[in-house]
Amino acid sequence: MAVTFNDTRMRDRIQLVFSLGIFALVALLPAIVRNEYWQGVLIVSMYFAMLAAAWNLLAGYTGQFSLAPAAFGMIGAYVTGLLSYHFNAPPLVGIPAAVVVSAAIGFGLGRIVLRLRGPYLALTTLSFAEICRLVISNSIEITRGDLGLSVPGIFDHRLTWYYVMLGVLVVIQLGLYFLLRAPAGLYLRAIRDDEIAAASRGVKIVLWKTNAFTLSAAISGLAGALYGHFAQFVSPELGLLSQTGIIVSMVVIGGLATLPGPIGGAFLVYVASEFLRDFGGYQLIVFALLVIIFARFFREGLWGFFRRAIERTGRRPAPAPSAAE
Amino acid sequence: MLLIDLTVNGLIIGLFYALMAIGLSLIFGILRIVNFAHGEFYMIGAYAYTLIALFFGISPWLTLPCAFIAGMALGWATERLLMRPLYSGYASWGVMKDEYAVIITFALSLLLINLVDKVIGPNGYRGPSLVATTRVEIGPFMASGHRLMAAGIALLVLIAVGLFVRYSYWGRQIQAVAQNRLGASLAGIDTAKASSIVFALSGGLAALAGALLSPIINATPDVGAFPAVKSYVIVVLGGMGSIPGAAVASLILGVLESFGAVYISYGYRDTFGLVILILVLLFRPHGLFGERSREV
Repeated sequence: MAVTFNDTRMRDRIQLVFSLGIFALVALLPAIVRNEYWQGVLIVSMYFAMLAAAWNLLAGYTGQFSLAPAAFGMIGAYVTGLLSYHFNAPPLVGIPAAVVVSAAIGFGLGRIVLRLRGPYLALTTLSFAEICRLVISNSIEITRGDLGLSVPGIFDHRLTWYYVMLGVLVVIQLGLYFLLRAPAGLYLRAIRDDEIAAASRGVKIVLWKTNAFTLSAAISGLAGALYGHFAQFVSPELGLLSQTGIIVSMVVIGGLATLPGPIGGAFLVYVASEFLRDFGGYQLIVFALLVIIFARFFREGLWGFFRRAIERTGRRPAPAPSAAE
Repeated sequence: MLLIDLTVNGLIIGLFYALMAIGLSLIFGILRIVNFAHGEFYMIGAYAYTLIALFFGISPWLTLPCAFIAGMALGWATERLLMRPLYSGYASWGVMKDEYAVIITFALSLLLINLVDKVIGPNGYRGPSLVATTRVEIGPFMASGHRLMAAGIALLVLIAVGLFVRYSYWGRQIQAVAQNRLGASLAGIDTAKASSIVFALSGGLAALAGALLSPIINATPDVGAFPAVKSYVIVVLGGMGSIPGAAVASLILGVLESFGAVYISYGYRDTFGLVILILVLLFRPHGLFGERSREV
């Protein structure tokens, strides 16, 4: 049977299988990658993969092009960081608190920007992100400003961290898959494709846009909180616009509005950037260039190449009947 | 007397903001996009001015046009190479044209910053002054000679741009495209050419602002971020796409900041503009002076 991509459900299922394949590969990697440093690189890639997946839900599937994903990661990291710094709260309290606070702020931002679209939305979320960063780096009495906060770690072994982060990432990805499979997935995509038409068919625009913002912020907050405990250090640099740039490049290079795109993009971009760092730090130049080329000529990102390859192999088992006989 | 000093200084800064913001506003008018790489046009101008003067030892009066031309070339190339999918019928981005513009200009900004950082280096370069006089006193007001001269040039260029857009052949075509792209093309206007001219012009203006300010603010790879954020605030404040609005809003922001830096906390100074931006977008999306846009 030829694999066709006309059916949204089928498409999502194939994409899920692919992303699970990526996870399986990553789960096996520590067998080869024994170096603690490179295992750390992979853990940070997982942090970026979570942020990229969260941003993809908002930008790729709902069409709400926020420029604040890194800010929500920073908020999550600071919530757990501040709780443990000032109140000695254990991570078991701090991380859920980070998720709740990020979700609440995401909900608020989502409510505020409901009417804004395109460039207006991008400008507002960019300002929001910068305000968050400036407030954190200037509230020196509370956050120690640009010095950053040291945060207690959770696990002693790097491999424990590795599999915990991977587990969380798998859960997030499965959650996104089931969300997209449910009617909610159709609502979100309908809002992206034509808001007015979606409203006319009874999609609750206000509800689903805010839901997308809240969920995306919650996932980003969780990612940030986990990262804070892993790195044992949080600083306002987590919320820099260039971090958002990295997240956007991961999603665009991997494939916007696809399930495996942000995950694959995050691992490829971050691991490649660690390699490129050794060759004189050209990583950001390369990625910015790649993003421009992909956005301009290959809108579907790397996943687009995979999709075409699968479609080709899918067709091959059914050879055309020979005309001579 | 502090009042006069602060006001005049604010107005001078406002003139430089206007050079940035009017270009951004022109681009928004004609393509309905925000150019997130606008600060990098400024940065390129600052470097072109500083480095050409440094290496060739030419008078800064000759390198100033060079910076303008460098900015124009960059703006023109950006439009030709990257902005075409916005209007020439590429199907691949379909409904997500706005998102395409955000991604591409954001990535361009990242690319230019890091390219300059690698090629020229992260160290700052100070541009040569146009006038040797370090201090001019007019009554209670004091400023460096360069600052006054640069402000004068900025004012002249702004007036020239205003006249160009208002009365010239191409300026009127630009206005027509900004009002209605389809209608303009039906009337025989080359909309692609108008878009190129707008990008080249706004690139040149931003580069000129960078060049004029480089003796005051050193040219570094990320020097463009600060004026870019200011020009976003201004363009929103003045009404997206409105040129007179952008000019007035620039002067207002310049004066407000000049007072704010003295009377309100310095560390939070940059957040005020951003808060204003969000509030204006929420409550007066057509800006303080812009007309309410109508949609069918």
